[in-house]
Amino acid sequence: MPKIAYYPGNVARAGASEVEDCIQPLCKALNIQLIEIPRASSDGGNVIKQATPKLQDALVARNLALAEAKGLDVITTCATSHAIMCNTAQDMKRDPVYASTVNNLVARTSKVEYIGETQSWHLVHYLVEEIGLDKVRNAVKNPLKMNVAAYYGPDMQREGACAGDDPFMPTYMEQLIEALGGTPINYESKCNSVGSTSMLTLEDSSLAMTAAVLSDAIQSGADLIVSACTVSHINLDSYQSKAGRVSGKKTIVPVCHLSELVAFALGFYPDRLAQLRTRVRLIGS
Amino acid sequence: MAVVAKVWIDEDCITCDACQDICPEVFEVTDDSSMILASVRTDGVFDRNVGGSPLTAGLGAELGDIIIEAAEACPVEVIKFELVSDGVDEVVAEVAPAVVEAAAPAAAVAAVAGASDALNAVFAGDRSLNILFGSQTGNAAGLAEKTAKLAASYGLEPSIVDMDGFDPSRLATMKRVMIITSTWGEGEMPDNADAMWSAINANGPGLGSTHFSVCAIGDTSYDEYCKAGHDWNNKLAALGGTEAYPIQECDVDFEPPWKIWVEQALPMLACVDESGTLQVELLEEMKAYGAGDDDDVIEGDFAPGVVEQENLTITVDVFRYCPEAAESGWDTLTCAVPGHATIQDLLITMQRDVDGSLAFRRGGAAGTPTTGVRVNGRIVLSDAAQIGDLVKDGGSVRIEPLPGHPVVRDLVVDTGRYESHRSRAEPWMRTDPREGEHLPSGHAMGTMDSAAATALHQAGDVLSFQLIQAMSDTLPHDPHYEGPGVHFQQWLRAIDPRTSETQRKTIVSSLQQKDGVWSEADHASLMRYGEDGRLAARALNEARGALLNQTRYAGKSGRLVKWYGRSVKWSGNVNETTLYRQVLGPLGLVSNVFSGVSARMALAFTRNGGPPIRSLQSLLLPPAGLGRIPRMFNSRVENYHEVVSLFNEIDQRF
Repeated sequence: MPKIAYYPGNVARAGASEVEDCIQPLCKALNIQLIEIPRASSDGGNVIKQATPKLQDALVARNLALAEAKGLDVITTCATSHAIMCNTAQDMKRDPVYASTVNNLVARTSKVEYIGETQSWHLVHYLVEEIGLDKVRNAVKNPLKMNVAAYYGPDMQREGACAGDDPFMPTYMEQLIEALGGTPINYESKCNSVGSTSMLTLEDSSLAMTAAVLSDAIQSGADLIVSACTVSHINLDSYQSKAGRVSGKKTIVPVCHLSELVAFALGFYPDRLAQLRTRVRLIGS
Repeated sequence: MAVVAKVWIDEDCITCDACQDICPEVFEVTDDSSMILASVRTDGVFDRNVGGSPLTAGLGAELGDIIIEAAEACPVEVIKFELVSDGVDEVVAEVAPAVVEAAAPAAAVAAVAGASDALNAVFAGDRSLNILFGSQTGNAAGLAEKTAKLAASYGLEPSIVDMDGFDPSRLATMKRVMIITSTWGEGEMPDNADAMWSAINANGPGLGSTHFSVCAIGDTSYDEYCKAGHDWNNKLAALGGTEAYPIQECDVDFEPPWKIWVEQALPMLACVDESGTLQVELLEEMKAYGAGDDDDVIEGDFAPGVVEQENLTITVDVFRYCPEAAESGWDTLTCAVPGHATIQDLLITMQRDVDGSLAFRRGGAAGTPTTGVRVNGRIVLSDAAQIGDLVKDGGSVRIEPLPGHPVVRDLVVDTGRYESHRSRAEPWMRTDPREGEHLPSGHAMGTMDSAAATALHQAGDVLSFQLIQAMSDTLPHDPHYEGPGVHFQQWLRAIDPRTSETQRKTIVSSLQQKDGVWSEADHASLMRYGEDGRLAARALNEARGALLNQTRYAGKSGRLVKWYGRSVKWSGNVNETTLYRQVLGPLGLVSNVFSGVSARMALAFTRNGGPPIRSLQSLLLPPAGLGRIPRMFNSRVENYHEVVSLFNEIDQRF
């Protein structure tokens, strides 16, 4: 049974509890053992970085070091969190002097150091590359049977953060949707930002960006959008009617998080899947 | 007049009828493919003639030129033919690839006045020299280019070959081979040589007529010093190749030993004649010839060598937009192109051979900042991006206009908005006098030391600020936002030590304005575009940091950073409720109730699952938008004092 440390990100255990509900059972079903890192903290969310990049890197390095101390890689369900971990790991690898400075701080405060052996995995990359789509396909109990558009966002779609997938024309989520019994829908803006990190400060721009992604997916025939990012999920879902009003575009479409979609297909929460199917029938394109 | 011996049709004919229109005597287009008529073939069969049945007597001469015209007109280049001249088979010809390869440096001379007959005889034959490089960091590739330039002095015609994708069976046809390779890690091949090394070990060709020499780059601090070079040297020898000059090992200071090697190995390999025999007795004369006569006028092509890559068969989709008809669409064609050709080479060839109306911006040389396009999602300069770096054999290339700018026609965009923003931002140099330095005109001149100059150069070392501008996902949705390309230039000017204090204050104030550096909704959209995007995102983040210091965390953006940090410091976790209250204020919170965000959550139209009480909570106590649980206080992470210590050690402002 593969073991991996679980990092829930900044919202899975707060606002996005549905992600936390689903990640545990889906990993059990796929025989993945999630190991908790109780001392892990927030990664700074690319917000603290604006004031002090070193502080954010130290927070992330500490989290990675805690997993490294257990000899484990880290898995997360949030594209932003995954990208932040990859950024810090790459910056420290690129500049050994900087890495040493950060590690000294982490060692002094937390008695651990990040050597660089532990790497971050996003759930989708882990399922496709480490678990294998065949194993996922065999575990499916409730095939999706829906037209599903995958939303990747920009954070993890770059060299060094998207595993073996193409950074600019990714297909891993589409492959996974197919394995779960759904029909993947391709659309142009699947890697575009929805401005979720600036939702509180740049609402107009964020809503316009959110509307552009939603309407593109709808026009391409999506019944449902699945998000690889817990933070972007909030924009795509909770704010979609507001985004529609601001932009004048058609934006109403059911949205769920990747961990929910996988868990539903593997047979968990059939009531939630039923509710989702109903919403797809009522408002899906 | 060309005489065609045989003609056949490859797969993937698109049945466009062009060949039949040009030469109906030979071609007939069916529903599936163009065919070669039975009446013109010696085997009398009607099919694509993939077996290569010759044309009937006299027909190849009579229709040769027309057959070639039909082949050249074929848009997918599936018509192949073989030429006959004076009864002797020529090299098999096929339709020229869509892109003309850039020429390698030409040989210096074909025959030499004053040289011995034996040396002239050597010069009269095949003079090809193949320089293969295995490179991890570019050092070996650089030496390969330098070697190629020197090779012309010995009357050689050098080709530089990247080992990546090179078929080792081709070595058997090469008379002269030089290998320059580094060693990676613990005696491993460089990444670009890995596949070729595996292939030659699995199925190495006989190298009975090949002379070679190897230059191995390594580092004596490693146990397996220069192992990759020795591996190649031993392998080529084992396959029957003749070592023309012994392997040269080069330590980290590789230039001096390389120079020794190249000065000895090149004349030795230049003495290999047409038949593949090493004429050692000519070595001294060859060296004298290579050293040249100082009084001679230097002639020849001194263009840098070209790293050749294999031909790729690709499908090309090009965005087309006609402003008169206000119509847009895609042109698609399949073609074979060398991997080292640039996107601009491809576009020029399409414009010349397929559609003269195709519009795009041309560059004068590699890396022209105004030649930006989007290719397979990547934002690149068309005269610098090589096709082999963007697509594999059999893949597709999708060429679109640069995003973030209005399209004028096809791939040409209007950069007027960017230029006007840039003009208003005034990111150019205005200096204060420093250390009494003045220009000859009398104006003050700023100065800086070399370390500052290097740091400044590294901070802004990008291909084009227009490309940076196009990387933003926010820009198309905010007509007033000045854009990251403009702000990046402003910030570089602000950190330039030569900049006057007055200008620095003006720039910083401009960046803090409403449409300034805080208007970018997501730096991740920049970060994804390689090193240039990373540099831009980093610089803009630095600019934000400086502004936060200066404004003491004022405004929504400042409050977000401050309270995000405090929230993490207090518990190790982010407290969304705190953030909402501090950033938006009480009225901002209520806006979610009236905008329907809270209602959507409460009525279960959004977010799947969870007990209904959470939804009710979110309606009654709107933190909302960011979730259903309006927690006022977070539970702290275990040993959260470690997090507090980190904050205290690094930044006590939170």
